[in-house]
Amino acid sequence: MPGLTENLLLLTPEFALTGLALLVLAVDLFLPESRKGWLALISIVGLLGLAVLSVVMLQGREETLYGGLLAVDRFALVFKVFFLGLGVLIILSSVDFVRKHLSHPGEFYGILLLSILGMNFMAQARELLTAYIALELLSFSLYVLTAYARSNPKSNEAGLKYIIIGAFSSALLLYGLSMVYSSLGTTSFAAIRDALASGAGAGPTLWVGLALLIVGLGFKLAAVPFHMWAPDVYEGASLPVTAYLAIGSKAAAFALVLRLFAEGIVPVVDIWSRWQIIVAVMAAVTMLVGNLVALAQRNLKRLMAYSSIGHVGFLLAGIAALGPGDTLVANGIILYLVGYAVTSIVVFAALIAFFNHTGQEEIADLAGLADRQPFLAAALAIGMFSLSGLPIFAGFTIKFYLFTAVARAGFLWLAALAVFASFISLYYYLQVIRQMYIQPAPGAPPEQSHGHAAEPPPDSNAHGAAPDAASAIPSPGWRLALVLGLGLAGVFWLGVYPAPLVAIIEGASRAILPGG
Amino acid sequence: MVPLTYFQLLSAALFAIGLYGVLARRSAVLIVLSIELMLNAVNINLIAAASHMDGVGRFSNFDGQIIAIFVITIAAAEVGLALAIILRMYRNRATVDVDEINLMKW
Repeated sequence: MPGLTENLLLLTPEFALTGLALLVLAVDLFLPESRKGWLALISIVGLLGLAVLSVVMLQGREETLYGGLLAVDRFALVFKVFFLGLGVLIILSSVDFVRKHLSHPGEFYGILLLSILGMNFMAQARELLTAYIALELLSFSLYVLTAYARSNPKSNEAGLKYIIIGAFSSALLLYGLSMVYSSLGTTSFAAIRDALASGAGAGPTLWVGLALLIVGLGFKLAAVPFHMWAPDVYEGASLPVTAYLAIGSKAAAFALVLRLFAEGIVPVVDIWSRWQIIVAVMAAVTMLVGNLVALAQRNLKRLMAYSSIGHVGFLLAGIAALGPGDTLVANGIILYLVGYAVTSIVVFAALIAFFNHTGQEEIADLAGLADRQPFLAAALAIGMFSLSGLPIFAGFTIKFYLFTAVARAGFLWLAALAVFASFISLYYYLQVIRQMYIQPAPGAPPEQSHGHAAEPPPDSNAHGAAPDAASAIPSPGWRLALVLGLGLAGVFWLGVYPAPLVAIIEGASRAILPGG
Repeated sequence: MVPLTYFQLLSAALFAIGLYGVLARRSAVLIVLSIELMLNAVNINLIAAASHMDGVGRFSNFDGQIIAIFVITIAAAEVGLALAIILRMYRNRATVDVDEINLMKW
């Protein structure tokens, strides 16, 4: 069969990543308990090496593998480097957490590496079955990671809910795939485009199939009304895994959706123009529900879950505004994913540092953090400002770029709604900052006679748990500090001078939107 | 030759039964079982479509069968994972009733 072994060398980074994951799992068997830290080191060095290797090897290549099932292009390369870098940051920020709260670090890092492999393939897939298998590789790894704290009932519950919803949505996705296959006889994105354009095979079967595909992907993206699993899973999972879910799985799912839409559906203008409104309404509902329900949250992880649902709404607005040959919107989506990742990693690294010392994860627990650990409080505050989209931080640049692109594509109302939703989000992000900077630390002596500070806590409390909770928090370890430093640098860099990154992303968008 | 529509109706019925099971069952194990039903509906659909691709009931397009094999493999792995997590749940909470698995809400 032609093309089966052709170009196989282009997959070297993926083969090497598989090898790295297996290496970590194997080395784990021989390391004594005190040396498990090496596993993280091996993973990080390996991932950095692979990122360099991918750039050197694949720079400027525009080729396909296995008869067009996988694409090796700029789009895939940008996402590959993005996912590998994200993996480095997530592993760096989970080392202390894993040592303290989880057992079996070897499997943790090994499975994390395998999930990165799944994400890489999701960005490369140009065919539904390949995309589905890559998606399942990612999802299976995430099910395991979510349920990783084996003796923690919340983690079990999150894992169970995640795998049931995940398997259910996979079944919907696959049924959609089978309908598409039975009406077209093929499942590649290009063939879907050709069939839609020529009208051959178009009929109720194809429409139901495509609708089921979108529903299945909606579950994976946690778009409203398919979002109900996300808050529970985010809350139950361990914090580094929550960070990974919020950033990595979302970015990978959007990479897949972006390629599917840009190569499969968007080029057929007369059909896409009728579908746009469906995606646009989904985006509008998602951003409103995510941001409004976030207002009522008490738990930091749940807050971040609903906030991430809101961000999915913004990204979906970008998907709805896609047009043939128009790279501006696609640029906006990819830039948003990068900016959101950089900002979220700052927030989550700060939360992990806080959790490692205190074991707390409620918003109210952050009270007085500015006095107890000024650096963490400042990092968290900058992260929150950036998430809400205030200028000089990454959040402003990415929102400005994406919303402008959406408005220019003719969806002015959607862009206006997105700006409105961002205003709502400012409220709950500022709540967190208010806790850290204005509320006094629990058990700290009230400085002035505010109205509510008149009743001091009972003495037993003040001498019991309170002084411990109120005491200063030591500065985070060097790994978390490194993640925070890199993340903050990224947040400011993107906020002030995003042009070089936009130039790279422009190349990625051109790869999937030919004729632009 | 049995028309493709019959297969599609069978598949749709099986899918609907599975969907009902996911929504109505209370035991996590039975929910997983119902999801398996849905995946088998997918397989029937795929293989029937592959056998009818040329219009005379002979296999001329093998994609559907290949996809079905992948689906079976992935479904098996999924069940393994799901049962492992359910088992863990049972050890910690002594229940697999999804109505009682409610530590986290809203």
